[in-house]
Amino acid sequence: MSIAQINAYVVAMFEIALANDAVSAVEDDLFRLARAIESNEQLRAALNDTSLPADRRQNIVEQLLGGKAHNVTVQLVSLLVGTGHISLLPQVADALVKRASSSKQMEVAEVRSAVALTDAQKARLAEALGKVAGKPVNLKVVVDPSVIGGLVATIGDEVIDDTVRTRLDQVKARF
Amino acid sequence: MNLFSIIFAAEDPTQSHHWLFPEIGEIVYGSLASLTIFAALYKFGWPAAKKALEARTAGIQKELDDSAAAQVQADADATNIRRALGDIASERTKLLAEADAQAAAILAEGRARITVEIADMEARATAEVLAARGRIGDELRAEISHLSAVATTDAVRAAMDDRTQQELVDNFIAKVGASR
Repeated sequence: MSIAQINAYVVAMFEIALANDAVSAVEDDLFRLARAIESNEQLRAALNDTSLPADRRQNIVEQLLGGKAHNVTVQLVSLLVGTGHISLLPQVADALVKRASSSKQMEVAEVRSAVALTDAQKARLAEALGKVAGKPVNLKVVVDPSVIGGLVATIGDEVIDDTVRTRLDQVKARF
Repeated sequence: MNLFSIIFAAEDPTQSHHWLFPEIGEIVYGSLASLTIFAALYKFGWPAAKKALEARTAGIQKELDDSAAAQVQADADATNIRRALGDIASERTKLLAEADAQAAAILAEGRARITVEIADMEARATAEVLAARGRIGDELRAEISHLSAVATTDAVRAAMDDRTQQELVDNFIAKVGASR
């Protein structure tokens, strides 16, 4: 599928979320779901398996989101599953987050952490990264045990890496 | 008149003057007839007989000459055969000597080639052993490095308690906040 088609999905989803006054919830739900699909190969394979009936794949998504996701999110994801384009979710979600952030004059800051952050930590982190970006940031935290410890933040093209994983890699590279 | 009739006739004294000797006239005529026959035989038969004898003599002589010539030829052939036998023996000796020389040359060449090949194989084997030693060393070092990295990662991961995690997060936030 071309970038234009991905953008068409993003525009449509953004407008639907905006019309339901659920942009923040939808883009946050989609971002979390996209990371979950990226990190789970079995889930990715099941959702991309066109031999499975669409309603069964939609059930998987609904079970995955459970009651935690916004209703609009569930409907939009079901749309992607029904059209057989669920594999595009990570790209669509990232583009939607970027568009939603732009609409609020914010920069997307993706942070990977080995452990979940508290709300206070998120607030301080958003403030600190906002200084780096030069404007408020839309903070997206991904819990990634592979970083072992510390954080790595990506703001646009800038990467701030202070993870234990990277330090171990640097030590290993010296040998 | 057959012989018996002559004998019986001779025994008859009335038929001859003597039982053994013929009449004088018969002796004379018989002698003349015999002389005539001998003369005729000498005149006409002797040259032919002589000629036949001479031809026979010449034939025998020719056969003797041919035999002599054949014997000479046979002797010459025998000589040639004996010389040829000598040549064959010398040729055999020569061929055997050449074969021995060739065999010795092939053997020497084969030994030289095998020596070179063995040296080449030894050199290759030595190079391969050295390469394998280096490769195994590299692989061993890489494996040790990998295992060390895994062990280090596991040790670090085990040491990462919640307090340490929170300190790392707070340090990151403080560092980023202080950077701008």
